[in-house]
Amino acid sequence: MAENKNTNPPVVNMRPGGGRGGPPGAMVREKPKNLKATLSKLTKYIGRSKYLLLGLLIFVIVIAILNLAGPALQAEAISAMTIDHEGAHVDFDKLYNVIIMMASVYILSSLFTYLQGVTAAKLSQYTVSTMRADLFRKISYLPIRYTDTHRHGDIMSRMTNDVENISNSISQSIASLFSAVITLIGSFIMMIYYSPLLTLVAMVTIPLTLFVSTQLSKFMRKYFVAQQTILGQLNGHIEEAVTGYKTVMAYSKEPDSIREFSRIAAEYRKVGIKANIWGGIMGPCMNMIGNLGYLLVASAGGYLALTGGLGIDAIQAVLQYSKQFTRPINEIANQYAQILTAIAGAERVFEIMETNPEPNDGKNPITVDDIKGDIHFSNMYFSYNEGEPVLKGFDLDVKRGQKIALVGATGSGKTTVVNLLTRFYDIDSGEITIDGININDMPKQTLRHAIAIVLQDTVLFSDTIEANIRYGRLDASDEDVKRAAAMANADTFIERLPDGYKTVLSESGSDLSQGQRQLLAIARAVLANPKILILDEATSSVDTRTEMHIQSAMVKLMENRTSLIIAHRLSTIRDADCIVVLDGGQIAEAGSHEELLAKKGAYYRLYQNQYAGFAT
Amino acid sequence: MKLAKYLKPYWIFAILAPLTMIGEVFIDLMQPKLMSKIVNDGVIGKDLALILTTGITMLVLVAIGGCFGALSAAFGSNAAQRMCNDLRNDTFKKVMGLSLQQTDKFTTGSLVTRLTNDINAVQDITSMILRMFVRAPMQFFGGIIMAVTISPKFGLVLLAALPLQILLVIFMLKKATPLYSVVQTKLDRVNSVVQENVSGARVVKAYVREEHEIDRFNNANTELRDINLKVQKLMATLSPILMLIMNGSVIAILLIGGQECEAAIGNIGGLLVGDVMAAINYITQILMSMMMVSMMFQSLTRASASAKRVIEVLESDAVISDGKGVETNERGNVKFDNVSFRYPNSAGRPVLNNINLDIKKGEVIAVIGATGSGKSSLVNLIPRFYDADEGSISVDGVDVRDYKLDTLRRKIAIVLQKTELFSGTVADNIRWGHTDATDEEVKKAAEIAQADDFISSFSDGYNTIIAEKGASLSGGQKQRIAIARAIIRRPEILIFDDSTSALDLGTEARLHKALRENISDTTIIMIAQRIASIRSCDRIAVIENGTITAFAPHDELMKTSAAYRDIYSSQMQNQNPN
Repeated sequence: MAENKNTNPPVVNMRPGGGRGGPPGAMVREKPKNLKATLSKLTKYIGRSKYLLLGLLIFVIVIAILNLAGPALQAEAISAMTIDHEGAHVDFDKLYNVIIMMASVYILSSLFTYLQGVTAAKLSQYTVSTMRADLFRKISYLPIRYTDTHRHGDIMSRMTNDVENISNSISQSIASLFSAVITLIGSFIMMIYYSPLLTLVAMVTIPLTLFVSTQLSKFMRKYFVAQQTILGQLNGHIEEAVTGYKTVMAYSKEPDSIREFSRIAAEYRKVGIKANIWGGIMGPCMNMIGNLGYLLVASAGGYLALTGGLGIDAIQAVLQYSKQFTRPINEIANQYAQILTAIAGAERVFEIMETNPEPNDGKNPITVDDIKGDIHFSNMYFSYNEGEPVLKGFDLDVKRGQKIALVGATGSGKTTVVNLLTRFYDIDSGEITIDGININDMPKQTLRHAIAIVLQDTVLFSDTIEANIRYGRLDASDEDVKRAAAMANADTFIERLPDGYKTVLSESGSDLSQGQRQLLAIARAVLANPKILILDEATSSVDTRTEMHIQSAMVKLMENRTSLIIAHRLSTIRDADCIVVLDGGQIAEAGSHEELLAKKGAYYRLYQNQYAGFAT
Repeated sequence: MKLAKYLKPYWIFAILAPLTMIGEVFIDLMQPKLMSKIVNDGVIGKDLALILTTGITMLVLVAIGGCFGALSAAFGSNAAQRMCNDLRNDTFKKVMGLSLQQTDKFTTGSLVTRLTNDINAVQDITSMILRMFVRAPMQFFGGIIMAVTISPKFGLVLLAALPLQILLVIFMLKKATPLYSVVQTKLDRVNSVVQENVSGARVVKAYVREEHEIDRFNNANTELRDINLKVQKLMATLSPILMLIMNGSVIAILLIGGQECEAAIGNIGGLLVGDVMAAINYITQILMSMMMVSMMFQSLTRASASAKRVIEVLESDAVISDGKGVETNERGNVKFDNVSFRYPNSAGRPVLNNINLDIKKGEVIAVIGATGSGKSSLVNLIPRFYDADEGSISVDGVDVRDYKLDTLRRKIAIVLQKTELFSGTVADNIRWGHTDATDEEVKKAAEIAQADDFISSFSDGYNTIIAEKGASLSGGQKQRIAIARAIIRRPEILIFDDSTSALDLGTEARLHKALRENISDTTIIMIAQRIASIRSCDRIAVIENGTITAFAPHDELMKTSAAYRDIYSSQMQNQNPN
């Protein structure tokens, strides 16, 4: 590293690959929108570890000062051994004294560098883990609407990449920025101390440095931004082709996909080479300017020495300091880019942090045990997007222990009723009451503890089968878990697995069939022993014979509970107490199976479709 | 490094990069000498002209060095970018040729990471190796030589300092490397908890398990933090110790320098102050290069893990590959002859056992059976998503293994259980099945698939953009678009792998009618759950535990197959209104 040819140890931890100094601007992917506000929020975060931060700053300052002492001491040593007139001798007393001082400075410097490294690591790790934990807590309590409407990949990337960027910046940028500023000021003061005139000469190259680096980074930024954009496209293509691979394969689309990939990749290569070439020019240019400065100081110094204005030791010192002087400028430029990236990341993180959590304003002191399960939906209106109402005046009265089925075409609003009852979404107008209490007045925990839900898309966690079932009731005993599994007819297949209930499910759960996954979800609901049970297409992935087997368990499960069943397979719901046919967000008709058939209305037509539609 | 062969086509760049780098380092090495000359002869000697001439020589050299440096960067990035472009293309091609059992094993997420992050890591390290791994040793040895030429005694200082440093670096790397892989594991754990919670938010909330999940996350998070801290603390010791050794050497040089200067009094050719300064500079350079190497080794260990993951993909040969290629005049016939199959790497009992089926052109066949009975596996064997273990499957009288995969798969259109839509318009997605299809054909296919009504109701109609893999569409709508995509392909054999499950029965009935009316000569094989959907099929195969127990039309099955009657009654409960 050309900038480091001075005799002073580098203060900053070198980053791998940082040898050539990443070009300033190379890392800037996007500019933060509101720098000030984000910065102050971030400061508050870092400020939580006040003492670590304070310690870090003290260490950095001490190191910078110790490093500034280096050239001064070396100058002393050099002057001690300078023989600039006849009969002079090396001043060994002075030399030894200086060397002892140097040794102590160096030892202290190393010690403080170590302390600084550890403090920086602690500060960044603690800040980041707190931030991650806060972010996760936040995400856990965000309304479902948020996760429904935001890309999961995006949320993930805020949690990982953005937080990681902030972490890197905290551990590296803060320390190097401070040390750079102090070194800059310190070198300046020291140079002035030795020779104001030479200092002036040394300053001449600064405008040049700034000019060249800003001009070059303008060029570079253009290519680096283009590179990032194309990389995004490339990754998008990969993602799509790989996740949809079976479809790609079925349609023999591999050659097309490869051709498209090659096209994007070639473009990426072209831009990448250009970006790197511009990046590669930066280092040598800065090196040139640095050496030009050195030459200027040396010439001026030589002239001064010639005219007898300045001692050789002072010239040597100014030369050293002038080199220290250019280094921080580069460093600040580098850090600036990294810090901007981190702040842009922080902005995205804070965006989540500032999203309103699910309101949890219910104050009614009712407990789960008190809930009986009388549900009343009255005059509900709801739309996901304004102007596109999904429910239009939904009215329904459900008595405790009743089994209600919701049927209707896709998009008729069945699942929406569930979303509203569980308060995943809040009603626009109208109300839902349970035992006469408006659900908005209940604490959400109470409401949801009273309800268990089995969804069409089963959610299993990468944990043991046992833990997945126990999710329904965390304090359930092993016996309870097994009983629940047996109730859901899941015990036979679980016991056939080599590790039985201790089998660890893989992340995607792909080692189980869709039907088996569904059985686990049902077992989970059985264990939860809820007052209100919701089955949202719960058995649609299970074949009808298996469903028959579960049916007895389901009947048991539904006993003494209010149950809401959504199904398009009408056989599932035939014996419901009341079948509600939804059409366009309204109840078209309701009644028992026999009543509805006799009516020969919407249900009759659905039924005909399902059972007779193919008879011809 | 097995990936080195990718560098071969760009060997000129790969050689020029270090060569030009040598030029740059060489000039870097000259600099302290010249600077010492400025101090020794110019400043002390009070010779301004000498300062200027030497200074200008230095500037010119630095300019040349800078050119070398820039060239080296250009060559290096050319080599690395071009090499990794090839690598990327090859890996992608490889992935696009893998068999499903292999992609299943790798998992899609990991394949995506390998194609993106891992290859980028290889690219970065390649360009770094090409430049830095030459620069560092050059600086190292060059520095030693230069220092020794100033005074052999300085060599002694290096002799003491260097082995110490090298040992230290090796020791640290040995300790840190295993920790880095632990960090990766912990990071994966954190990511997977987040992933599960984001995609399973409904269940977490429904069971009020937010706090439980937060605990789970905090455990993973704390573990990650602690291991990260451990690594960073360890690495924080390296640089101060290296610095201490380096600064110790500087002090030693000053001590020796003092003696030498004294000895040089009146002795022309002895050591001068400028030489001492130059020596200090060289020592610094040498030790800096040491630090650089140690940092680079860290990157290298991490990159080599990436390289390993890429190579793993490159080295997995597609298990299922093209046959010799045959022509046949038959159309739409499928025959299973004593087929048995078990999923690769699964120890359990076979999924399919002795399957015999003979399906003729234009027949509409249904497959029905319990969850996990092997229905999907059965149809997956036809387009060779997997290969049978025993027996043979033939399409149009030819064993599927004898076809070119492309020829085989062009005969077949399969609508999968899990609908995959791609970014683009609705029309693009349908046309995907048959790239040259006209707008009329697209519309016709959508009509048959019962998708025309809802597509036309969109404000942009067929030009509606499908975002996020169809997140804005309902399951039934996605399935119908996928069906239209299959129909437009005009296949000989059309397979529905339980792909009408989200359609209500009315829609499904209309779909069946339209299929019969419009593409009656296409063989259709459909997996379904609902008897109502399939009772009108020509023949229905009942599959139980991987074996076909009956294969006949509905009415006959009602008489002969107990299993079928079971399924029937489970759905009809003997209340058939007819």
